[in-house]
Amino acid sequence: MNTLATRTASPLAWYARQNPKRELWLAWGTLVVFYIFFGVVFFVLTRTQPPPSPAWDSRKVVQWFQDNHSGILIGFAIMFVITGMTTMSNALIAYSMRRMSVSPAFGYTYLILYSLSAIPGMLLMCIALTVGALRPDRDPELITWTYDFAFLSFIGTMGVFLIGSLVWMLAILIDKNRVFPKWFGYLNLCNALTEIVVSPAWIFRRGVLAWNGQIAWWLNMVVFAIYTGVFIFLLRQLIQREDFGTGPLPNLAPKAAR
Amino acid sequence: MKVDFNKRLLVVWLVLASVTLAYLWIDHSNGGAPSASAVVTSSVIVIALIKVRIIFREFMEVRQAPILLCRLTDAWVVLMGVSLLSSYFVGMALA
Amino acid sequence: MTDHSVAQVTKPGKFVPGQPDMWAFVLFETLVFTGYFGFYLFYRTQSPELFLRAQAQLDLRIGVFNTLVLLLSSWSVARCVQSARAGAYRQAHTDAVLTTLFGLVFMVSKVFEWFRQIRIGNGFASNDFFTYYYFLTGIHFIHLLIGFIALGVIFYQLRRPAPRSRGSQELVETCATYWHTVDFLWVLIFALLYVVR
Repeated sequence: MNTLATRTASPLAWYARQNPKRELWLAWGTLVVFYIFFGVVFFVLTRTQPPPSPAWDSRKVVQWFQDNHSGILIGFAIMFVITGMTTMSNALIAYSMRRMSVSPAFGYTYLILYSLSAIPGMLLMCIALTVGALRPDRDPELITWTYDFAFLSFIGTMGVFLIGSLVWMLAILIDKNRVFPKWFGYLNLCNALTEIVVSPAWIFRRGVLAWNGQIAWWLNMVVFAIYTGVFIFLLRQLIQREDFGTGPLPNLAPKAAR
Repeated sequence: MKVDFNKRLLVVWLVLASVTLAYLWIDHSNGGAPSASAVVTSSVIVIALIKVRIIFREFMEVRQAPILLCRLTDAWVVLMGVSLLSSYFVGMALA
Repeated sequence: MTDHSVAQVTKPGKFVPGQPDMWAFVLFETLVFTGYFGFYLFYRTQSPELFLRAQAQLDLRIGVFNTLVLLLSSWSVARCVQSARAGAYRQAHTDAVLTTLFGLVFMVSKVFEWFRQIRIGNGFASNDFFTYYYFLTGIHFIHLLIGFIALGVIFYQLRRPAPRSRGSQELVETCATYWHTVDFLWVLIFALLYVVR
Protein backbone atom coordinates (compact mmCIF):
# COMPACT_ATOMS: atom_id res chain seq x y z
CA MET A 1 0.00 0.00 0.00
CA ASN A 2 1.39 3.40 -0.96
CA THR A 3 0.20 4.75 2.34
CA LEU A 4 2.99 2.77 3.93
CA ALA A 5 5.38 5.57 2.98
CA THR A 6 3.32 8.16 4.80
CA ARG A 7 2.91 5.83 7.75
CA THR A 8 6.33 6.50 9.11
CA ALA A 9 5.57 10.24 9.31
CA SER A 10 2.78 10.01 11.88
CA PRO A 11 1.31 6.57 12.49
CA LEU A 12 -1.55 7.82 14.62
CA ALA A 13 -2.60 10.41 12.02
CA TRP A 14 -2.49 7.73 9.37
CA TYR A 15 -4.66 5.43 11.44
CA ALA A 16 -7.18 8.17 12.08
CA ARG A 17 -7.39 9.41 8.54
CA GLN A 18 -6.62 6.62 6.14
CA ASN A 19 -6.78 3.20 7.69
CA PRO A 20 -9.77 1.61 5.98
CA LYS A 21 -10.30 -0.53 9.01
CA ARG A 22 -10.59 2.32 11.48
CA GLU A 23 -14.32 1.94 12.01
CA LEU A 24 -13.85 -1.76 12.64
CA TRP A 25 -11.13 -1.11 15.17
CA LEU A 26 -13.27 1.54 16.82
CA ALA A 27 -16.10 -0.96 17.12
CA TRP A 28 -13.78 -3.60 18.53
CA GLY A 29 -12.22 -1.16 20.97
CA THR A 30 -15.67 -0.07 22.13
CA LEU A 31 -16.60 -3.71 22.66
CA VAL A 32 -13.56 -4.30 24.85
CA VAL A 33 -14.09 -1.12 26.84
CA PHE A 34 -17.73 -2.01 27.38
CA TYR A 35 -16.89 -5.42 28.80
CA ILE A 36 -14.31 -3.91 31.11
CA PHE A 37 -16.91 -1.46 32.42
CA PHE A 38 -19.43 -4.27 32.65
CA GLY A 39 -17.05 -6.38 34.72
CA VAL A 40 -16.15 -3.55 37.07
CA VAL A 41 -19.72 -2.33 37.54
CA PHE A 42 -21.33 -5.71 38.08
CA PHE A 43 -18.60 -7.50 39.99
CA VAL A 44 -17.04 -4.73 41.99
CA LEU A 45 -19.25 -1.66 42.27
CA THR A 46 -22.72 -3.10 42.56
CA ARG A 47 -21.70 -6.59 43.76
CA THR A 48 -24.58 -8.08 41.81
CA GLN A 49 -22.29 -10.70 40.36
CA PRO A 50 -21.87 -13.28 41.83
CA PRO A 51 -25.55 -12.88 42.65
CA PRO A 52 -26.81 -12.89 46.22
CA SER A 53 -29.12 -15.66 47.31
CA PRO A 54 -32.75 -16.05 46.23
CA ALA A 55 -33.42 -17.79 49.52
CA TRP A 56 -33.01 -14.67 51.65
CA ASP A 57 -35.88 -13.21 53.58
CA SER A 58 -36.89 -9.55 53.41
CA ARG A 59 -34.64 -8.52 56.26
CA LYS A 60 -31.51 -9.87 54.61
CA VAL A 61 -32.49 -8.41 51.25
CA VAL A 62 -32.98 -4.95 52.72
CA GLN A 63 -29.63 -5.33 54.48
CA TRP A 64 -27.98 -6.17 51.16
CA PHE A 65 -29.45 -3.07 49.57
CA GLN A 66 -28.17 -0.98 52.45
CA ASP A 67 -24.67 -2.46 52.22
CA ASN A 68 -24.46 -1.82 48.49
CA HIS A 69 -26.49 1.37 48.34
CA SER A 70 -24.04 3.77 46.72
CA GLY A 71 -22.40 1.04 44.68
CA ILE A 72 -25.72 0.14 43.09
CA LEU A 73 -26.75 3.70 42.34
CA ILE A 74 -23.42 4.81 40.95
CA GLY A 75 -22.63 1.57 39.15
CA PHE A 76 -25.92 1.33 37.34
CA ALA A 77 -25.88 5.03 36.53
CA ILE A 78 -22.67 4.29 34.65
CA MET A 79 -24.37 1.37 32.89
CA PHE A 80 -27.25 3.55 31.77
CA VAL A 81 -24.79 5.95 30.19
CA ILE A 82 -22.69 3.34 28.39
CA THR A 83 -25.38 0.84 27.36
CA GLY A 84 -25.20 2.24 23.83
CA MET A 85 -21.74 0.72 23.49
CA THR A 86 -23.31 -2.67 23.10
CA THR A 87 -24.58 -1.59 19.71
CA MET A 88 -20.99 -1.55 18.45
CA SER A 89 -20.47 -5.07 19.68
CA ASN A 90 -23.61 -6.35 18.01
CA ALA A 91 -22.86 -4.47 14.80
CA LEU A 92 -19.38 -5.98 14.62
CA ILE A 93 -20.72 -9.49 15.05
CA ALA A 94 -23.40 -8.85 12.45
CA TYR A 95 -20.67 -7.47 10.19
CA SER A 96 -18.74 -10.70 10.60
CA MET A 97 -21.79 -12.53 9.30
CA ARG A 98 -22.08 -10.15 6.35
CA ARG A 99 -18.48 -11.04 5.44
CA MET A 100 -19.44 -14.71 5.35
CA SER A 101 -20.76 -16.44 2.26
CA VAL A 102 -24.14 -16.93 3.93
CA SER A 103 -27.27 -14.88 3.39
CA PRO A 104 -27.26 -11.38 4.92
CA ALA A 105 -30.44 -12.47 6.71
CA PHE A 106 -28.25 -14.04 9.38
CA GLY A 107 -26.62 -10.72 10.22
CA TYR A 108 -29.94 -8.90 10.22
CA THR A 109 -31.58 -11.50 12.47
CA TYR A 110 -28.73 -11.25 14.93
CA LEU A 111 -28.89 -7.47 14.94
CA ILE A 112 -32.61 -7.37 15.62
CA LEU A 113 -32.39 -10.04 18.30
CA TYR A 114 -29.57 -8.41 20.15
CA SER A 115 -30.87 -4.89 19.89
CA LEU A 116 -33.86 -6.12 21.86
CA SER A 117 -31.95 -8.39 24.19
CA ALA A 118 -30.19 -5.70 26.19
CA ILE A 119 -33.50 -4.89 27.82
CA PRO A 120 -34.28 -8.14 29.57
CA GLY A 121 -30.67 -9.20 29.47
CA MET A 122 -29.27 -6.33 31.44
CA LEU A 123 -31.26 -3.14 31.67
CA LEU A 124 -34.23 -4.52 33.57
CA MET A 125 -31.97 -5.56 36.39
CA CYS A 126 -30.19 -2.21 36.41
CA ILE A 127 -33.51 -0.36 36.56
CA ALA A 128 -35.11 -2.63 39.13
CA LEU A 129 -32.16 -2.55 41.51
CA THR A 130 -31.82 1.20 41.15
CA VAL A 131 -35.50 1.56 42.03
CA GLY A 132 -34.99 -0.76 44.98
CA ALA A 133 -32.01 1.20 46.24
CA LEU A 134 -33.49 4.63 45.69
CA ARG A 135 -35.69 4.72 48.79
CA PRO A 136 -34.11 2.64 51.59
CA ASP A 137 -37.10 3.29 53.84
CA ARG A 138 -39.55 1.69 51.42
CA ASP A 139 -41.67 -1.26 52.53
CA PRO A 140 -39.29 -4.29 52.76
CA GLU A 141 -41.75 -6.44 50.84
CA LEU A 142 -41.58 -4.03 47.91
CA ILE A 143 -37.80 -3.95 48.05
CA THR A 144 -37.72 -7.75 48.00
CA TRP A 145 -40.03 -7.63 45.01
CA THR A 146 -37.59 -5.46 43.04
CA TYR A 147 -34.78 -7.78 44.11
CA ASP A 148 -36.54 -10.89 42.79
CA PHE A 149 -37.61 -9.09 39.64
CA ALA A 150 -34.09 -7.85 38.98
CA PHE A 151 -32.26 -11.14 39.35
CA LEU A 152 -34.88 -13.29 37.68
CA SER A 153 -34.93 -10.99 34.68
CA PHE A 154 -31.16 -10.90 34.44
CA ILE A 155 -30.39 -14.55 34.90
CA GLY A 156 -33.60 -16.13 33.74
CA THR A 157 -34.15 -14.47 30.38
CA MET A 158 -31.55 -16.33 28.45
CA GLY A 159 -33.76 -17.11 25.49
CA VAL A 160 -32.66 -14.17 23.37
CA PHE A 161 -29.00 -14.96 23.82
CA LEU A 162 -29.65 -18.62 23.14
CA ILE A 163 -31.21 -17.95 19.74
CA GLY A 164 -28.53 -15.41 18.91
CA SER A 165 -25.81 -17.96 19.60
CA LEU A 166 -27.57 -20.49 17.40
CA VAL A 167 -27.89 -18.00 14.55
CA TRP A 168 -24.19 -17.20 14.73
CA MET A 169 -23.34 -20.90 15.01
CA LEU A 170 -25.35 -21.78 11.93
CA ALA A 171 -23.79 -18.96 9.93
CA ILE A 172 -20.29 -20.06 10.92
CA LEU A 173 -20.89 -23.71 10.09
CA ILE A 174 -22.37 -22.98 6.66
CA ASP A 175 -19.89 -20.24 5.81
CA LYS A 176 -17.42 -20.96 3.02
CA ASN A 177 -15.31 -17.85 3.54
CA ARG A 178 -13.59 -19.29 6.60
CA VAL A 179 -14.33 -16.14 8.58
CA PHE A 180 -14.29 -18.09 11.82
CA PRO A 181 -12.92 -21.55 12.60
CA LYS A 182 -15.56 -24.25 12.85
CA TRP A 183 -14.72 -24.96 16.48
CA PHE A 184 -15.98 -21.50 17.31
CA GLY A 185 -19.28 -22.42 15.70
CA TYR A 186 -19.45 -25.37 18.07
CA LEU A 187 -18.48 -23.14 20.99
CA ASN A 188 -21.59 -21.11 20.19
CA LEU A 189 -23.53 -24.31 20.66
CA CYS A 190 -21.90 -24.84 24.05
CA ASN A 191 -22.87 -21.31 25.00
CA ALA A 192 -26.43 -21.82 23.79
CA LEU A 193 -26.72 -25.01 25.82
CA THR A 194 -25.53 -23.27 28.97
CA GLU A 195 -28.29 -20.72 28.45
CA ILE A 196 -30.76 -23.57 28.63
CA VAL A 197 -29.12 -24.84 31.80
CA VAL A 198 -29.86 -21.51 33.45
CA SER A 199 -33.62 -21.67 32.93
CA PRO A 200 -34.39 -23.78 36.05
CA ALA A 201 -33.42 -20.67 38.03
CA TRP A 202 -37.09 -19.70 37.72
CA ILE A 203 -38.07 -22.70 39.83
CA PHE A 204 -35.39 -23.08 42.45
CA ARG A 205 -34.64 -20.75 45.33
CA ARG A 206 -31.83 -22.88 46.66
CA GLY A 207 -29.42 -25.47 45.41
CA VAL A 208 -27.25 -25.80 42.34
CA LEU A 209 -29.91 -24.58 39.92
CA ALA A 210 -30.91 -21.42 41.76
CA TRP A 211 -29.90 -18.10 40.21
CA ASN A 212 -26.76 -18.12 42.33
CA GLY A 213 -26.28 -21.88 42.11
CA GLN A 214 -23.02 -23.66 41.34
CA ILE A 215 -24.37 -24.97 38.06
CA ALA A 216 -26.76 -22.23 36.96
CA TRP A 217 -24.36 -19.40 37.76
CA TRP A 218 -20.80 -20.50 38.54
CA LEU A 219 -20.28 -23.19 35.90
CA ASN A 220 -22.27 -21.16 33.39
CA MET A 221 -20.20 -18.08 34.06
CA VAL A 222 -17.00 -20.03 33.35
CA VAL A 223 -18.37 -21.15 29.97
CA PHE A 224 -19.67 -17.67 29.21
CA ALA A 225 -16.37 -16.01 30.15
CA ILE A 226 -14.43 -18.40 27.93
CA TYR A 227 -16.89 -17.81 25.11
CA THR A 228 -16.69 -14.02 25.45
CA GLY A 229 -12.88 -14.02 25.62
CA VAL A 230 -12.70 -16.23 22.56
CA PHE A 231 -15.05 -14.16 20.43
CA ILE A 232 -13.32 -10.91 21.36
CA PHE A 233 -10.05 -12.49 20.24
CA LEU A 234 -11.55 -13.90 17.04
CA LEU A 235 -13.18 -10.59 16.13
CA ARG A 236 -9.77 -8.98 16.46
CA GLN A 237 -8.34 -11.60 14.12
CA LEU A 238 -11.19 -11.01 11.72
CA ILE A 239 -10.38 -7.31 11.49
CA GLN A 240 -6.68 -8.06 11.02
CA ARG A 241 -7.48 -10.50 8.21
CA GLU A 242 -10.16 -8.39 6.58
CA ASP A 243 -9.58 -7.69 2.91
CA PHE A 244 -13.00 -6.17 2.18
CA GLY A 245 -13.59 -8.73 -0.53
CA THR A 246 -16.33 -11.29 -0.86
CA GLY A 247 -14.26 -14.45 -1.15
CA PRO A 248 -12.58 -16.55 1.49
CA LEU A 249 -10.91 -14.45 4.12
CA PRO A 250 -7.13 -14.72 3.87
CA ASN A 251 -5.27 -16.17 6.81
CA LEU A 252 -3.25 -13.95 9.06
CA ALA A 253 0.14 -13.23 7.46
CA PRO A 254 3.15 -14.20 9.59
CA LYS A 255 4.44 -11.32 11.70
CA ALA A 256 7.49 -10.64 9.51
CA ALA A 257 5.43 -9.92 6.42
CA ARG A 258 3.02 -7.55 8.22
CA MET B 1 -11.69 -55.79 4.88
CA LYS B 2 -15.10 -54.39 5.58
CA VAL B 3 -16.28 -57.69 7.04
CA ASP B 4 -13.36 -57.65 9.47
CA PHE B 5 -14.20 -54.14 10.57
CA ASN B 6 -17.83 -55.00 11.03
CA LYS B 7 -16.97 -57.97 13.17
CA ARG B 8 -14.70 -55.92 15.35
CA LEU B 9 -17.40 -53.32 15.94
CA LEU B 10 -19.87 -56.03 16.87
CA VAL B 11 -17.42 -57.55 19.35
CA VAL B 12 -16.90 -54.12 20.86
CA TRP B 13 -20.64 -53.69 21.29
CA LEU B 14 -20.93 -57.12 22.92
CA VAL B 15 -18.19 -56.23 25.38
CA LEU B 16 -19.83 -52.92 26.27
CA ALA B 17 -23.25 -54.56 26.55
CA SER B 18 -21.95 -57.28 28.87
CA VAL B 19 -20.27 -54.73 31.10
CA THR B 20 -23.58 -52.83 31.22
CA LEU B 21 -25.44 -56.00 32.15
CA ALA B 22 -22.85 -56.68 34.81
CA TYR B 23 -24.24 -53.62 36.58
CA LEU B 24 -27.48 -55.54 37.04
CA TRP B 25 -25.50 -58.29 38.71
CA ILE B 26 -23.70 -55.84 41.02
CA ASP B 27 -27.03 -54.37 41.95
CA HIS B 28 -28.60 -57.78 42.50
CA SER B 29 -25.80 -59.08 44.64
CA ASN B 30 -25.97 -55.96 46.78
CA GLY B 31 -29.68 -56.64 47.05
CA GLY B 32 -32.09 -55.90 49.87
CA ALA B 33 -32.11 -52.41 51.31
CA PRO B 34 -29.94 -50.05 49.31
CA SER B 35 -27.03 -48.69 51.25
CA ALA B 36 -24.37 -46.18 50.41
CA SER B 37 -21.11 -47.84 49.49
CA ALA B 38 -17.87 -46.18 48.51
CA VAL B 39 -16.64 -49.43 47.00
CA VAL B 40 -19.64 -49.82 44.72
CA THR B 41 -19.61 -46.16 43.76
CA SER B 42 -15.92 -46.00 42.89
CA SER B 43 -15.96 -49.25 40.96
CA VAL B 44 -19.05 -48.19 39.05
CA ILE B 45 -17.39 -44.92 38.10
CA VAL B 46 -14.18 -46.65 37.02
CA ILE B 47 -16.11 -49.22 34.97
CA ALA B 48 -18.09 -46.43 33.28
CA LEU B 49 -14.83 -44.67 32.39
CA ILE B 50 -13.43 -47.88 30.93
CA LYS B 51 -16.53 -48.09 28.76
CA VAL B 52 -16.04 -44.47 27.71
CA ARG B 53 -12.44 -45.20 26.76
CA ILE B 54 -13.54 -48.20 24.70
CA ILE B 55 -16.06 -46.00 22.93
CA PHE B 56 -13.33 -43.44 22.24
CA ARG B 57 -10.86 -45.95 20.91
CA GLU B 58 -13.12 -48.27 18.96
CA PHE B 59 -16.31 -46.50 17.97
CA MET B 60 -14.76 -43.07 17.60
CA GLU B 61 -11.69 -44.53 15.87
CA VAL B 62 -9.15 -42.90 18.14
CA ARG B 63 -7.12 -46.11 17.77
CA GLN B 64 -6.27 -45.02 14.24
CA ALA B 65 -5.86 -41.38 15.08
CA PRO B 66 -2.69 -39.34 15.45
CA ILE B 67 -0.94 -39.80 18.75
CA LEU B 68 -2.06 -36.38 20.00
CA LEU B 69 -5.72 -37.37 19.91
CA CYS B 70 -4.96 -40.70 21.62
CA ARG B 71 -3.15 -38.90 24.40
CA LEU B 72 -5.84 -36.23 24.70
CA THR B 73 -8.71 -38.68 25.01
CA ASP B 74 -6.78 -40.79 27.50
CA ALA B 75 -5.96 -37.66 29.47
CA TRP B 76 -9.64 -36.74 29.44
CA VAL B 77 -10.66 -40.14 30.80
CA VAL B 78 -8.11 -39.76 33.58
CA LEU B 79 -9.25 -36.20 34.25
CA MET B 80 -12.86 -37.32 34.52
CA GLY B 81 -11.90 -40.12 36.84
CA VAL B 82 -9.93 -37.83 39.09
CA SER B 83 -12.68 -35.18 39.14
CA LEU B 84 -15.50 -37.59 39.83
CA LEU B 85 -13.70 -39.62 42.45
CA SER B 86 -12.38 -36.57 44.24
CA SER B 87 -15.84 -34.92 44.26
CA TYR B 88 -17.13 -38.09 45.83
CA PHE B 89 -14.38 -38.62 48.38
CA VAL B 90 -14.09 -34.96 49.33
CA GLY B 91 -17.84 -35.00 49.84
CA MET B 92 -17.60 -38.11 51.99
CA ALA B 93 -14.91 -36.48 54.09
CA LEU B 94 -16.97 -33.36 54.60
CA ALA B 95 -20.28 -35.13 55.24
CA MET C 1 -5.03 -33.88 4.29
CA THR C 2 -6.77 -37.13 4.99
CA ASP C 3 -7.46 -39.46 2.10
CA HIS C 4 -10.60 -41.47 2.48
CA SER C 5 -10.32 -43.63 -0.61
CA VAL C 6 -10.85 -47.38 -0.42
CA ALA C 7 -7.12 -47.99 -0.63
CA GLN C 8 -6.72 -46.20 2.66
CA VAL C 9 -8.93 -48.75 4.37
CA THR C 10 -6.56 -51.60 3.60
CA LYS C 11 -3.57 -49.81 5.02
CA PRO C 12 -4.91 -47.19 7.40
CA GLY C 13 -2.68 -44.22 8.05
CA LYS C 14 -3.23 -41.98 11.03
CA PHE C 15 -6.13 -39.64 10.54
CA VAL C 16 -8.43 -37.63 12.72
CA PRO C 17 -11.98 -38.92 12.25
CA GLY C 18 -14.10 -35.95 11.25
CA GLN C 19 -13.29 -32.30 11.79
CA PRO C 20 -10.77 -31.66 14.57
CA ASP C 21 -13.12 -28.81 15.49
CA MET C 22 -15.79 -31.28 16.49
CA TRP C 23 -13.26 -33.04 18.72
CA ALA C 24 -12.57 -29.71 20.41
CA PHE C 25 -16.31 -29.40 21.06
CA VAL C 26 -16.53 -32.97 22.34
CA LEU C 27 -13.70 -32.48 24.81
CA PHE C 28 -15.04 -29.13 25.99
CA GLU C 29 -18.58 -30.38 26.46
CA THR C 30 -17.25 -33.40 28.32
CA LEU C 31 -15.54 -31.05 30.76
CA VAL C 32 -18.78 -29.17 31.32
CA PHE C 33 -20.64 -32.40 31.99
CA THR C 34 -17.88 -33.55 34.31
CA GLY C 35 -18.59 -30.37 36.25
CA TYR C 36 -22.28 -31.30 36.51
CA PHE C 37 -21.38 -34.85 37.57
CA GLY C 38 -18.93 -33.57 40.15
CA PHE C 39 -21.58 -31.44 41.82
CA TYR C 40 -24.01 -34.34 41.76
CA LEU C 41 -21.57 -36.73 43.43
CA PHE C 42 -20.56 -34.17 46.02
CA TYR C 43 -24.11 -33.31 47.02
CA ARG C 44 -25.02 -36.97 47.01
CA THR C 45 -22.53 -37.56 49.77
CA GLN C 46 -24.11 -34.77 51.81
CA SER C 47 -27.52 -36.42 51.93
CA PRO C 48 -26.91 -40.14 51.26
CA GLU C 49 -30.19 -41.39 52.74
CA LEU C 50 -32.32 -39.01 50.71
CA PHE C 51 -30.50 -39.85 47.51
CA LEU C 52 -30.63 -43.59 48.11
CA ARG C 53 -34.33 -43.56 48.88
CA ALA C 54 -35.13 -41.45 45.84
CA GLN C 55 -32.83 -43.46 43.61
CA ALA C 56 -34.65 -46.65 44.58
CA GLN C 57 -37.66 -45.28 42.72
CA LEU C 58 -35.78 -45.56 39.45
CA ASP C 59 -35.96 -48.81 37.55
CA LEU C 60 -32.44 -50.04 36.87
CA ARG C 61 -33.64 -52.29 34.07
CA ILE C 62 -34.96 -49.33 32.09
CA GLY C 63 -31.59 -47.64 32.55
CA VAL C 64 -29.80 -50.74 31.29
CA PHE C 65 -32.18 -50.97 28.34
CA ASN C 66 -31.54 -47.30 27.50
CA THR C 67 -27.80 -47.86 27.64
CA LEU C 68 -27.91 -50.96 25.45
CA VAL C 69 -30.04 -49.15 22.87
CA LEU C 70 -27.75 -46.14 22.72
CA LEU C 71 -24.68 -48.37 22.51
CA LEU C 72 -26.37 -50.11 19.58
CA SER C 73 -26.91 -46.74 17.93
CA SER C 74 -23.20 -45.98 18.36
CA TRP C 75 -22.38 -49.34 16.82
CA SER C 76 -24.58 -48.67 13.80
CA VAL C 77 -23.26 -45.15 13.23
CA ALA C 78 -19.68 -46.45 13.48
CA ARG C 79 -20.58 -49.04 10.87
CA CYS C 80 -22.11 -46.29 8.78
CA VAL C 81 -18.86 -44.33 8.78
CA GLN C 82 -16.85 -47.37 7.75
CA SER C 83 -19.30 -48.38 5.05
CA ALA C 84 -19.29 -44.86 3.64
CA ARG C 85 -15.50 -44.80 3.72
CA ALA C 86 -15.39 -48.07 1.78
CA GLY C 87 -17.85 -46.71 -0.76
CA ALA C 88 -20.75 -48.96 0.26
CA TYR C 89 -23.28 -46.15 0.40
CA ARG C 90 -26.36 -48.33 0.40
CA GLN C 91 -25.09 -50.14 3.46
CA ALA C 92 -24.14 -46.81 5.04
CA HIS C 93 -27.67 -45.56 4.46
CA THR C 94 -29.12 -48.63 6.16
CA ASP C 95 -26.80 -48.11 9.10
CA ALA C 96 -27.87 -44.48 9.37
CA VAL C 97 -31.51 -45.56 9.39
CA LEU C 98 -30.74 -48.07 12.16
CA THR C 99 -29.04 -45.36 14.19
CA THR C 100 -32.07 -43.13 13.85
CA LEU C 101 -34.37 -45.94 14.93
CA PHE C 102 -32.29 -46.74 18.00
CA GLY C 103 -32.18 -43.05 18.84
CA LEU C 104 -35.96 -42.83 18.59
CA VAL C 105 -36.40 -45.88 20.81
CA PHE C 106 -34.20 -44.24 23.43
CA MET C 107 -36.12 -41.00 23.12
CA VAL C 108 -39.53 -42.61 23.52
CA SER C 109 -38.33 -44.76 26.38
CA LYS C 110 -36.93 -41.71 28.17
CA VAL C 111 -40.16 -39.72 27.79
CA PHE C 112 -42.19 -42.66 29.10
CA GLU C 113 -39.85 -42.97 32.05
CA TRP C 114 -40.31 -39.28 32.86
CA PHE C 115 -44.06 -39.55 32.69
CA ARG C 116 -44.02 -42.58 34.92
CA GLN C 117 -41.88 -40.81 37.49
CA ILE C 118 -44.08 -37.72 37.42
CA ARG C 119 -47.17 -39.89 37.86
CA ILE C 120 -45.76 -41.49 41.00
CA GLY C 121 -45.01 -38.05 42.31
CA ASN C 122 -41.35 -37.46 41.53
CA GLY C 123 -41.10 -34.10 39.82
CA PHE C 124 -38.24 -31.75 39.01
CA ALA C 125 -38.41 -30.00 42.35
CA SER C 126 -39.49 -32.99 44.46
CA ASN C 127 -36.13 -33.54 46.06
CA ASP C 128 -32.47 -32.99 45.31
CA PHE C 129 -31.96 -36.38 43.68
CA PHE C 130 -34.80 -35.88 41.23
CA THR C 131 -33.62 -32.37 40.46
CA TYR C 132 -30.34 -33.91 39.29
CA TYR C 133 -32.17 -36.75 37.57
CA TYR C 134 -34.33 -34.48 35.43
CA PHE C 135 -31.53 -31.99 34.91
CA LEU C 136 -28.99 -34.54 33.70
CA THR C 137 -31.39 -36.62 31.64
CA GLY C 138 -32.97 -33.40 30.33
CA ILE C 139 -29.79 -31.75 29.15
CA HIS C 140 -28.73 -35.09 27.69
CA PHE C 141 -32.06 -35.32 25.90
CA ILE C 142 -31.42 -31.95 24.27
CA HIS C 143 -28.04 -33.24 23.12
CA LEU C 144 -29.85 -36.25 21.68
CA LEU C 145 -32.24 -34.02 19.76
CA ILE C 146 -29.28 -32.16 18.29
CA GLY C 147 -27.91 -35.61 17.44
CA PHE C 148 -30.90 -36.19 15.20
CA ILE C 149 -29.97 -33.05 13.29
CA ALA C 150 -26.45 -34.46 12.95
CA LEU C 151 -27.97 -37.69 11.58
CA GLY C 152 -29.93 -35.58 9.13
CA VAL C 153 -26.65 -34.14 7.87
CA ILE C 154 -25.31 -37.68 7.46
CA PHE C 155 -28.35 -38.69 5.43
CA TYR C 156 -27.92 -35.62 3.26
CA GLN C 157 -24.26 -36.42 2.63
CA LEU C 158 -25.03 -40.04 1.79
CA ARG C 159 -27.68 -39.03 -0.70
CA ARG C 160 -25.20 -37.23 -2.93
CA PRO C 161 -24.18 -39.15 -6.02
CA ALA C 162 -20.56 -40.29 -6.45
CA PRO C 163 -17.86 -39.09 -6.89
CA ARG C 164 -17.88 -37.65 -3.43
CA SER C 165 -15.76 -34.86 -2.13
CA ARG C 166 -13.35 -35.44 0.69
CA GLY C 167 -15.39 -33.02 2.69
CA SER C 168 -18.45 -35.23 2.45
CA GLN C 169 -16.83 -38.16 4.25
CA GLU C 170 -15.35 -35.79 6.80
CA LEU C 171 -18.81 -34.40 7.50
CA VAL C 172 -20.21 -37.89 8.00
CA GLU C 173 -17.42 -38.67 10.45
CA THR C 174 -17.92 -35.35 12.23
CA CYS C 175 -21.59 -36.05 12.81
CA ALA C 176 -20.81 -39.60 13.91
CA THR C 177 -18.31 -38.24 16.42
CA TYR C 178 -21.06 -36.05 17.85
CA TRP C 179 -23.42 -39.00 18.09
CA HIS C 180 -20.85 -41.08 19.96
CA THR C 181 -20.53 -38.23 22.44
CA VAL C 182 -24.26 -38.42 23.14
CA ASP C 183 -23.72 -42.13 23.75
CA PHE C 184 -20.77 -41.95 26.11
CA LEU C 185 -22.30 -39.09 28.06
CA TRP C 186 -25.29 -41.34 28.64
CA VAL C 187 -23.00 -44.17 29.76
CA LEU C 188 -21.74 -41.85 32.48
CA ILE C 189 -25.16 -40.47 33.37
CA PHE C 190 -26.57 -43.98 33.64
CA ALA C 191 -23.77 -45.09 35.92
CA LEU C 192 -24.12 -42.04 38.16
CA LEU C 193 -27.90 -41.82 38.40
CA TYR C 194 -28.93 -45.47 38.35
CA VAL C 195 -26.06 -47.57 39.64
CA VAL C 196 -23.88 -45.56 41.98
CA ARG C 197 -24.75 -46.13 45.65
